Amino acid sequence: MSQQKRLLIIDDDPDFVEGLKSILEAADYSVDAAYNPKAGYQALETKHYDILLLDIMMGRGAEGIMVARKLNKDPKLREIPVLIITGIREQIAFLFPGQAVHPHFMPVDELVEKPVEARLLLDKVSELLHRAEARKKAQTT
Amino acid sequence: MENKYKILIIDDEEVVLNSCSEILAGGNYHMATAANGTVGLKLVQEFLPDLVFVDLKMPGISGFEVLEKICAFDPTIVTIVITGYATVNSAVEAMKKGAYDFLPKPFTPDELRLIARRGLEKRTLVLETIALRREKEMLREHFAAIVSHELKTPLSAVQQNLFALIAALSSKLTEDQKTLFGRMTSRIDDLLKLIHTWLRVISVDVEKIKERFAPISVTTSISKAIESVQPHATRKDIEILTSVEEPLGLVHGDEGTLVEALVNIIGNAVKYSRVGSQVLVKVEKKEDNILISVTDTGVGISKDDLPFVFGDFYVGKSSHMVERGSGLGLAITRRIVEAHDGSISVESELGKGSSFMIRLPALKKDLHNQTTLDAELCSNSQKGVT
Repeated sequence: MSQQKRLLIIDDDPDFVEGLKSILEAADYSVDAAYNPKAGYQALETKHYDILLLDIMMGRGAEGIMVARKLNKDPKLREIPVLIITGIREQIAFLFPGQAVHPHFMPVDELVEKPVEARLLLDKVSELLHRAEARKKAQTT
Repeated sequence: MENKYKILIIDDEEVVLNSCSEILAGGNYHMATAANGTVGLKLVQEFLPDLVFVDLKMPGISGFEVLEKICAFDPTIVTIVITGYATVNSAVEAMKKGAYDFLPKPFTPDELRLIARRGLEKRTLVLETIALRREKEMLREHFAAIVSHELKTPLSAVQQNLFALIAALSSKLTEDQKTLFGRMTSRIDDLLKLIHTWLRVISVDVEKIKERFAPISVTTSISKAIESVQPHATRKDIEILTSVEEPLGLVHGDEGTLVEALVNIIGNAVKYSRVGSQVLVKVEKKEDNILISVTDTGVGISKDDLPFVFGDFYVGKSSHMVERGSGLGLAITRRIVEAHDGSISVESELGKGSSFMIRLPALKKDLHNQTTLDAELCSNSQKGVT
């Protein structure tokens, strides 16, 4: 087994974060949380994380999208896989019914709807970690 | 309104300015006067009048130009034209430039007071209309955001913690305990879905789906809808029978929302049917229309309720006996069908069942070839861009 993976959650609802954290820690991930985009960005700059779980609707609007855009401009941080966890999908889905909504904010990202069941959450996280690793390998070779 | 109304008079004759000011002085207004158009326009911006009297014939910039500039500055300011040469032509011309009314010289004090009062009433109405429209718009936009955050956020947190609890306890829970958890999560899930439905009705403009209209097959939409309702029907041991009269041709529409409308209707039929009964979905082409009917032998709708079923928040009175709905499904369905230039109607008898009919205009053959071609061209060009 490789060493414990480090996760960062950026979401402005601490109660929701605890729900995620409990599931992820039980699956042996090391989890940090930031409750606003600014603190989240600082955490990403100071520590290494293997994956970011990002909420979209924070503060005055879709501030999570701003975080994703900012990360995407940073040559180092854009390599981090991002799992977007948001409640807005249903609203988007009405405008694009039947289509899988994919964020495409970052090279490796995926979207799940809030709230997310334990199994689905863990599957998505490990899938993204694998995809990021595969991407890294492809780039170095 | 607490504020005093502000009236500005622009006229080159001092006599007119003075007499008008005097006449209106008793009316509890703030008054301002200007002897020419240039000064008048400056005052419009500083004094911010509710009502402006403008002399049409002045040295310097003309009354017409003043009218135009006032309208450009703030179209809600009511303007009334004063002129000595009261011809129909200049009146019409002034009205075209946005003047509300016309006051021919010479006029009596009563005429002036009356026209000022009417002008201000107009101003009040215009401002109230704007305020109401803005309020309605804000309510619509903000309600979505508020509901979304204030209701969904705590519910999501509760659900997420339940999921965590279920995951943590999964090996220790008995089947009965799992059922208890299942009940909680499914009720919260229902609540979240209900909020989404409300949000959609309030914040989404169904007319927007028209931008995505393309030739689509009703048969495909119906089979997709049935596929989505089928698990629910199977659970209640209800058989969904279909009778499709091919060839149906196409309709101009949006498949996603049309399927949603059909899911609502067929889903309702299943929801309000008795266990072990049948639901009939029939599609036929009559002249230029495609007619879809969904008939069940379920609880039915009472005569008193029938006129309201397509309105917002209608929930059948008998629905406490069966499953309760959001009361918005049919309202959304009606909006979707109407956006497709179709219509929806219902026949029902309490205790015997209901029949919902959707009529959609069929695409004409030659036209449909053309639009198919257009759609292909369009999608090809889109492919080229991406």
